[in-house]
Amino acid sequence: MTATISTTPVTPTRRRRRSARLSPLLVAFVLVPFAVESVWVFWPALQGFWFSLTRWDGMSPPTFVGVDNYVEMAGDATFRGALLNTVIWLVLFGGLSVLGGFGMALVLQKERRGVGFYRAALFTPVVFSLVVTALVWRVFYQPDGIADTLLRAVGLEHLIRPWLADPQTALYAVILPALWRQIGYVMVLFLAGLKAIDPALHEAARMDGANAWQRLRHVTIPQLKGVNAVVLSVIVIDSLRSFDIVWSLTKGGPYHSSELLSTYMYSTAFQSLRLGYASAIAVVIFVLALAVILGYLVRAFREEA
Amino acid sequence: MSDFDPGRRRFLGHLGLAGLGALGASSFLSACASSASGPTTGNGSGAVTIQSNLSSPQAKAAMEKLIANFNAQGKGTASLNTIASETFRTQLPTYLTSANPPDLYTWYAGSVANDYASRNLLLDVSDVWKSLGDYPQSLRTLSTDASGKQIFVPMNNYWWGFFYRKSNFAKWGVQEPKTWTEFLALCETLKSKGVPPIGIGLGDTPWVASAWFDYLNIRINGAPFHRELLAGKQRFDDARVKAVFTRWREALPYFDPKGKAYPFQEATTALLAGKTGMFLIGTFFADAAPKDALGDLDFFRFPIIDPAVPLAEEAPTDGFFASAKTANPTGTKALLTYLSGVEAQEAYVKASSGIVLPANPRAKASDSPLVVKGKAMLDEAKELTQFFNRDSSDALQPTADTALTKFIDKPDQIDAILREWQAGAEKVFKG
Repeated sequence: MTATISTTPVTPTRRRRRSARLSPLLVAFVLVPFAVESVWVFWPALQGFWFSLTRWDGMSPPTFVGVDNYVEMAGDATFRGALLNTVIWLVLFGGLSVLGGFGMALVLQKERRGVGFYRAALFTPVVFSLVVTALVWRVFYQPDGIADTLLRAVGLEHLIRPWLADPQTALYAVILPALWRQIGYVMVLFLAGLKAIDPALHEAARMDGANAWQRLRHVTIPQLKGVNAVVLSVIVIDSLRSFDIVWSLTKGGPYHSSELLSTYMYSTAFQSLRLGYASAIAVVIFVLALAVILGYLVRAFREEA
Repeated sequence: MSDFDPGRRRFLGHLGLAGLGALGASSFLSACASSASGPTTGNGSGAVTIQSNLSSPQAKAAMEKLIANFNAQGKGTASLNTIASETFRTQLPTYLTSANPPDLYTWYAGSVANDYASRNLLLDVSDVWKSLGDYPQSLRTLSTDASGKQIFVPMNNYWWGFFYRKSNFAKWGVQEPKTWTEFLALCETLKSKGVPPIGIGLGDTPWVASAWFDYLNIRINGAPFHRELLAGKQRFDDARVKAVFTRWREALPYFDPKGKAYPFQEATTALLAGKTGMFLIGTFFADAAPKDALGDLDFFRFPIIDPAVPLAEEAPTDGFFASAKTANPTGTKALLTYLSGVEAQEAYVKASSGIVLPANPRAKASDSPLVVKGKAMLDEAKELTQFFNRDSSDALQPTADTALTKFIDKPDQIDAILREWQAGAEKVFKG
């Protein structure tokens, strides 16, 4: 992400010769992926924007309805709920996985005996398919399951509730397994970043009498700027596309209480067969992701300039 | 051939696809639009392709056997394509609208088939029906579209009822109730014995609650009103619909509170283990029951509420329809004729595990007491309904799931829930 292009001095004649005779291989390397992307990514994405302006059931041809879908969205309580849940998800899932992942990376960065075991243990959930994760957590949450047994063992049985079926707890009960997985992933990203920090910087800071907190605040964190951009993008994208874990655990229910924009989009498209409205939701998801990531990138570039 | 087999609404096929990123999300949707080319049959030999959602091991084996038998007869060749249920459900419109679609499909009779027929996507199979003269009129009506031609060939149907364990009812000293009053009294007795009287499984399978809505509605308002309501000709915020929920509320205190959290398969386990008294469910639940428990199972019909309302029962019918664009209509109809025959239907009933009734009146159903009783119950009914999603559409089902699970949680908010339901249904009908 922060790779700087090395600018080796090139003589003017060589440069002119290169641009005059562009290697066909190079052209192929650019054009072929571009053509593939156009067919499989750009064109469908543009089509998605078009469908968001139509009413379409997937069978009859779409009919153009202008911005009707967006107008409907403004008055749709389920959509507002899903949007709010997505924001909660972004903050809790994103925030906690950054905090947790960074914390774990700090704890586990020093090479000590057995540290590999802990790193592997934290990373293991990433390896599982989210559907498998969901199955495991379903057993955990089921009535008289592990969660209930644990609470009973410590005398907190008054807290027991149908975790995934209670609208008060469903969303949080789904965030937990998602976090359980994401923390390991973010930890690995941060570990890689921490490894890349020159130990001499810490050495120098220590010489200058900086304590551990000051070294973290003024040496480690600024040095991780490149990793932060990656982590932010990963978190935002993962939050907005979080779908599988929610769908496998609650399908957005009970009565939309754990609905995210992604699950709402899916059920609107493939259960209600309202593909126009679903495309409009997809456009909103796209705009949200773009806004968050662009916002960060613009700030990052301004600081560099 | 169970409609709601365990995998039916579980999410299998599309995780990879739907997990795409935000940009991909919109492209995912549009990918369907541009899929003008569907699965190709093109092996040139004119084999009939049959697309089947019967993916449970026994049902799949049963279908394979039927197709092998058909091929051995030399009247044509057919090849079977078994697809995971959820994938099948979401892909069916794409199959049917593609340029080169598969020929034959397993699916449901009723409004779902009629909806496709009204778009001219289904093959006219009136020829096949000429040899089905002894099928009951109810099945013929069910397989006929608005323009009066037959577009569906039924294979079998099954029934819903309150299932219980005979040994447990004997142990608790209780009998099958006939009326709503007797039913509530039974619930009270079971509750006093410390058994949650009514099992249900809404976690992951919220559509199970629709059986309660369907039955209360056809018992209180009758099957014609129920069908009109589900077709969008009546309103969900109607006083008659509210009456359904007022009745339901009388039984709510007897529902197993854990039923909200687990799927119907676990509700089945709870019933078999004696942790709940009875369970309103379709016969497909027995697929998951251990063999030794099957002999101990019995059921009673949903209690009568208003004796003046003609008796109706839920009897979801499974079968086949064919694509209007099939390249081989003769072969497709030959296969349909074979599948609707006595031999094929009896072979299917034998090979599949489920408790199903063959559609062909001359085909013998299993002679277990349970099946005999179920058949008698359906024969006695004046009207048969299919199930919520089959009498309306898969698109309307989620609106019911939301409304009904919310009602079970917050019965005092019924007016607001019905208003929301009506608004949600209008969106679905509008498209």
